[in-house]
Amino acid sequence: MQVEELELSQFRNIDRLALNCPESLHLFVGPNAQGKTNILESLYVLALGKSHRTRKDKELIRWGADAAQIKARVSGEFGNHRLDIRLTPRGKKVVKNGLEQRRLSSYIGTLTAVLFAPEDLTIVKGSPQVRRRFIDMELGQVSPSYIHDLTRYNQLLLQRNQLLKDMGNRRERINAFLDVLDEQMIDLSTSLWKKRVTFIKQLTQWAQDIHTSITQAKETLTIDYQSAVPTQGVTDEAGYRMAIEKELLRLREQELRRGTTLTGPHRDDLRLFANDVDIHTFGSQGQQRTAALSLKLAEIELIHQETGTYPILLLDDVLSELDDSRKTHLLEAIRGKVQTFVTATGLEGIDQETCDRARIYRVQQGSITEQG
Amino acid sequence: MYIPDPISKLIDGFMRLPGIGPKTAQRLSFYVLSMEEEDVMELAKALVRAKRDLQRCEECSNITDQKRCRVCGDKGRDRSVICVVQDPRDVIAMERTKEYHGLYHVLHGAISPMEGIGPDELSIPDLLKRLEDETVQELILATNPNIEGEATAMYLQRLIKPFGIKVTRIAHGLPVGGDLEYADEVTLTKAMEGRREL
Repeated sequence: MQVEELELSQFRNIDRLALNCPESLHLFVGPNAQGKTNILESLYVLALGKSHRTRKDKELIRWGADAAQIKARVSGEFGNHRLDIRLTPRGKKVVKNGLEQRRLSSYIGTLTAVLFAPEDLTIVKGSPQVRRRFIDMELGQVSPSYIHDLTRYNQLLLQRNQLLKDMGNRRERINAFLDVLDEQMIDLSTSLWKKRVTFIKQLTQWAQDIHTSITQAKETLTIDYQSAVPTQGVTDEAGYRMAIEKELLRLREQELRRGTTLTGPHRDDLRLFANDVDIHTFGSQGQQRTAALSLKLAEIELIHQETGTYPILLLDDVLSELDDSRKTHLLEAIRGKVQTFVTATGLEGIDQETCDRARIYRVQQGSITEQG
Repeated sequence: MYIPDPISKLIDGFMRLPGIGPKTAQRLSFYVLSMEEEDVMELAKALVRAKRDLQRCEECSNITDQKRCRVCGDKGRDRSVICVVQDPRDVIAMERTKEYHGLYHVLHGAISPMEGIGPDELSIPDLLKRLEDETVQELILATNPNIEGEATAMYLQRLIKPFGIKVTRIAHGLPVGGDLEYADEVTLTKAMEGRREL
């Protein structure tokens, strides 16, 4: 999948921008706060219909302007498409090949994108929440039914927590209703667990190969999906159902006392090991970064496997965060197959060969000039 | 700007209605001024009457202007089936089908701890009372297919089990007359799960 032309107007601090980009590597260079990330953000919005930086579409519109627009021509294995997103304070309109798409779900997936920003380097050492978010975002791109189940699960969790709180205060005969919520929770948890475990298994296969080659076979990466429910020896959905049912029963009194749900997919986590050593706790910063990079690169391969086409890759200021060997690896891994958009404050630290095959642009106060 | 008190009161009144913002409220209010007095009186009376004269049917809890609603009072209806719905509007939707000839029971909501709605806030005790009568043989649960509606249906099913009455849940899946290709993935998945042998 490749973006052939990109046109922005009134997007963030960019007045107007027209980019012809048939090449596979684009480098945006300039000091901070000039609009480099805004360009990557526009590509992200183009792919996913929403920004990774804000929930308010209004913020994407240039100060003082009525509306922003992102237009692009993309080409790929499944033909060419014209994508067009118009953002107004009243809402957004997504248009594909001249036809307005009423639902975002019929638009998403035309162009897939993987974003790698400095905060992604914290996947390994950050809180479990960061890792769950990673799973939710990536799995959501390839499985709409996962998003549906997750939304329902979150809604259920709110209801269940409220009920537990109420019951703690005034024990009533709504025990029967808690049983009902438990039944719903068991169903949804099982479905989420199954999808996540399958996803992590697939992702691990790719991540392992990548990790082995970055570390020159010195380390082997393993990823473990850690369920909050005791799942030792559990291999299938029926096993998980039984495990969570038992766990909910065991925790019932404690949950009533605490007034909140103490087990379930919202408390699951990932653990990453290098040669059986837990990277989260014992890994060096370098090991943590290698693992994070492996996960991101694996994601690209996984999207390719699931959708039959490579996503575009958006590298926001991460090259400077990686050391030379990891940087070389990253650039080698994507070379020739993944169209990549990179931002950096300077060209220092980017090797000559990469610079030679990249298109380089200077970004200054929202205007972009190509360097010869 | 100064707006005479009667009209600003009217605007405030309209704004309390769902889906009406300040601009619409203002437009409606000024339109009322241009209406014939007779029509305005009719409207005002209708508003008051709707509030004052309507009550819940003593049997099915649907809204009615008599003690017993029309459906419950209709001798021609099948008294062995009760369709349980969340809202009076659901009864209207069901009645439009002209295919259902049983009775109804209106819950006036779904169980939702977050909104402080428990089983006792709904007309569930009334429903249980109706079931003591031997004539009822089937209960159709037609609550909405979202988390709260499903939970309410499951709760009722558990509650009613001891009565030995057949309990059914309405199906969900593809809309009739629609094209398969336009259905979203989740609906389609549900429709596949609920497939039947022909």
